[in-house]
Amino acid sequence: MNGLDERGRALGNHGAAGRPAPAGTPPVAPPGVPSGADPVKALMLRHRELCERAVDALEIAAGLEAHGVTDRTAARFRHRDVFSLAEEMYARAARVDEDEVPAGPPAAAGPPPARWALRALLPGALCAGTVAALRWTTGEARLVVGVLGLAAVAGGVRLALGRGPLSSEGRSVPGPHDWRTPPGARAWAYLLVGYALMGDGLLHAGLVGGPDDLPGGRYGDWPVTLTPLLALGLSCAPAVWSAHLFRAGVGRKLAGSRGLEEFAATARPLLLGVVAVHLAAVSGLSALCAVLLDEHSTPAATAALGALLLIARLLTVHGFTHAPGVVLRAVGWTEIASVCLVFAGRLPGCDVLAGPVETVVSVWGEHAVPLLACGAGALVLLVHACRRLALASAHAPAGPRPPSDR
Amino acid sequence: MRIGLLTEGGYPYARGEARLWCDRLVRGLGQHEFRLYALSRDREQERAGWVDLPAQVTQVRTAPLWTAEVDGTWYGRRARRRFARHYGDLAAGLCAGPAGAPGQGGYSPAEADRFRSALYGLAELAREEGGMVAALRSEEAVRALERVCRAPGAPRAAREARVTDLLLVGAHLEQALRPLSLDWYEEGELGSVDLCHAAAGGLAALPGLLARHFHGVPLVVTEYGVPLRAHYLGSADAPPAVRALLAAFHGRLAAEAYRSAAVLTPGNTHVRRWQERCGADRSKVRTVYPGMSAARFAGAGERPGGRAGERAGAAGAGAEPGTLVWVGRIEPSKDLVTLLHAFAAVRQRVPGARLCVAGSAPDPEGAAYLLHCEELAGRLFPGDPPVEFVEMGGPAAPGLADVYARGAVIVLSSVVEGFPVSVVEAMFSGRATVSTDVGAVVEVVGGTGLVVPPRDPRALAEACVALLGDPERRDRLGAAARARAMELFTVEQNVAAFHRIYLEVAGRCPARRIAEADAAAPRPFAVPAELRVAGAGSVEVTR
Repeated sequence: MNGLDERGRALGNHGAAGRPAPAGTPPVAPPGVPSGADPVKALMLRHRELCERAVDALEIAAGLEAHGVTDRTAARFRHRDVFSLAEEMYARAARVDEDEVPAGPPAAAGPPPARWALRALLPGALCAGTVAALRWTTGEARLVVGVLGLAAVAGGVRLALGRGPLSSEGRSVPGPHDWRTPPGARAWAYLLVGYALMGDGLLHAGLVGGPDDLPGGRYGDWPVTLTPLLALGLSCAPAVWSAHLFRAGVGRKLAGSRGLEEFAATARPLLLGVVAVHLAAVSGLSALCAVLLDEHSTPAATAALGALLLIARLLTVHGFTHAPGVVLRAVGWTEIASVCLVFAGRLPGCDVLAGPVETVVSVWGEHAVPLLACGAGALVLLVHACRRLALASAHAPAGPRPPSDR
Repeated sequence: MRIGLLTEGGYPYARGEARLWCDRLVRGLGQHEFRLYALSRDREQERAGWVDLPAQVTQVRTAPLWTAEVDGTWYGRRARRRFARHYGDLAAGLCAGPAGAPGQGGYSPAEADRFRSALYGLAELAREEGGMVAALRSEEAVRALERVCRAPGAPRAAREARVTDLLLVGAHLEQALRPLSLDWYEEGELGSVDLCHAAAGGLAALPGLLARHFHGVPLVVTEYGVPLRAHYLGSADAPPAVRALLAAFHGRLAAEAYRSAAVLTPGNTHVRRWQERCGADRSKVRTVYPGMSAARFAGAGERPGGRAGERAGAAGAGAEPGTLVWVGRIEPSKDLVTLLHAFAAVRQRVPGARLCVAGSAPDPEGAAYLLHCEELAGRLFPGDPPVEFVEMGGPAAPGLADVYARGAVIVLSSVVEGFPVSVVEAMFSGRATVSTDVGAVVEVVGGTGLVVPPRDPRALAEACVALLGDPERRDRLGAAARARAMELFTVEQNVAAFHRIYLEVAGRCPARRIAEADAAAPRPFAVPAELRVAGAGSVEVTR
């Protein structure tokens, strides 16, 4: 029977497979009345991990019961029940020293980069395709290609933002449709991109005195600048990567910080750095696209718009949807108003209305209008984000599942 | 009587826990009117739909625990101050000492009072202003948690909390406190039931606590498992600070539920011990064993256990001396490995013995374990294996009663067990049992079977051999087991016990009617003065 007993011992481990047990734990229930001078010590050695990490005596009691220790077993250790046995074990257990406590598990990296990285390239690719198609077509076909291309790009952007770091999946904001940007804010974002596409041309036309007819007719095409569109489409990839850097960095800081102040102090530089990286990326892409397309465009205006959109999106996915909506609306109205004022100034006796815009354009050129509007908006949002995204509660995890009774 | 039945992740969901018990209770007590208030645990559960509800269920309200909508309410300055005060108190209550009963281990009754008033303060705020979800997720909540963790006297684990830990605790608390935001506590809802019956402890009891707080509705809490214990085992992977704070929260919540409940009905003594440990007053604890349907096993129970074959076997040498039967869900905690080793020892002493392992493996872990056991059986018994694995739950599966009827002795080898269903079924079938000493086994078996220490194949084998070799004793034990089971573990006794408890509670605590009569229409002398005098509890006030 000795051999059988040995086998039973070896199998004790396996029986406990349902619970986390350190490798090499001897069987749990003592085979008989413990013979040593300090039977509880032997039991503590067997359950060393449980004793070290227990936060109170009841946790040890729960763990012991899960390993098959009953009141009858506790009686062998001269205790009335498992609870008093657990209390002795808790009182005697050497707590793990503060220095030995690891700094917390590394923050979950989220889904593997490959998938959302590919999605992030989609808007850029669609933009490039659309621009190329526009170059090769003329007349009616060009209009069709343009409309289809814009729709495709919009779909691509939506796909790119639906998953990955620029989406709010796994965020604290509850509700089934939480990742959706409020519709108003999205419409204003598209309007800003639309202005980047043809606003400068319209403004120029208004200031120099044409056109007097709808475009597309005798007086030629829409005054479109494709560079900002292409640059912004391509910049989705750096935007997603920036957001990924931000999220990963925040996860690290959260796990490493001991206090909310400490976290806020480290989160702000992180945000500023991420926005700076994105600004540089959009500027570079914009300059490159301008060269490739042989167009005249100011990278600064595009970069300001890119930064504005990135910060707005970051705020939105962290649950702050109000401020981005307000700022995007304000910037949009500013741009619309500047174009409308210029055209209104051409009405007899209304020259004064166009005055401010004319002054700005005469000093810095047409690009100054979107640059100033988007830059100011981005600055306001950045200040807001520095306050809001430095709050730890903005990065709270989604609610955990309640523990099951089984 | 109108009973508000409170569940969490259970009845009436088709994939809920303990739904059979609730279903039998509701069907068995047709003279009462039941209103169900169910919290669902995840999306899958909601999708799977409900079970059929009998006519006495007049109303069903459900709410998800797994998601919450921000209702767009933002607090003004006063409400924010109120929230910060209550939440701060709640958090301070978590750091004031170890989980468990007030008065034990440095957790004073004053701290329990603080936790209680904070909880009800938050509930009142949620009821008056709404917006609790957003407030619980706000920076103020995190700051309150940080403050109490850094305060002197906080437990060591809490002092080391990182910001991630605080956020995790905050998110968990927000989820746990979602019942506060429900609109279940008005007149016409839980406000006008005669009695709240929480089908489980923990979060299921929280709406009952609030109904008691707002309207004085008496609360009955039934626990077949210990939520606090489940929490300890389920949160083993969390960081120490998170475990410490959440364990404290669930401990305090359980203590408050035990304190407030008019009657506590643990499902077995094991649960009762935990309840008493967490501060339940002995005088209001009534153990009510879960009821199981005995009708299925009537056939097997009337026939003495395997005796016909036994006598024939005694006459002719080498005939089949008996079969050991094991029934259950196949998973590692059932320790089939020990059973197989024990059976190997049995075979050495009783060569013709056979073992039948009947069960199903519902999850991949169980399936892997089953495979492992089958391999082990193949290794231990090469050639013609005396071990048979019977798949239960499939379309071609034999009836449960037939499986029990085949056995001379029913074996349970678990290392972890709550209420041992297979042992009770064996007792209904009139079979002698050999079980390991885990969970509620000893109190279920009583003296009608053999109990051995868990993880001890030798003891298990010796007990089996003793019973296999003594048919007279086996019969005696089997008959006693059936008598005991018919007395204690039938559905009828369960339903009757709850019927008595409902009447007792309703007779003792009709206090709600006073408040209601006062609030609705102040009629002079509508409430007799005797009602406010101790001992006049049985006076019923009509509305």
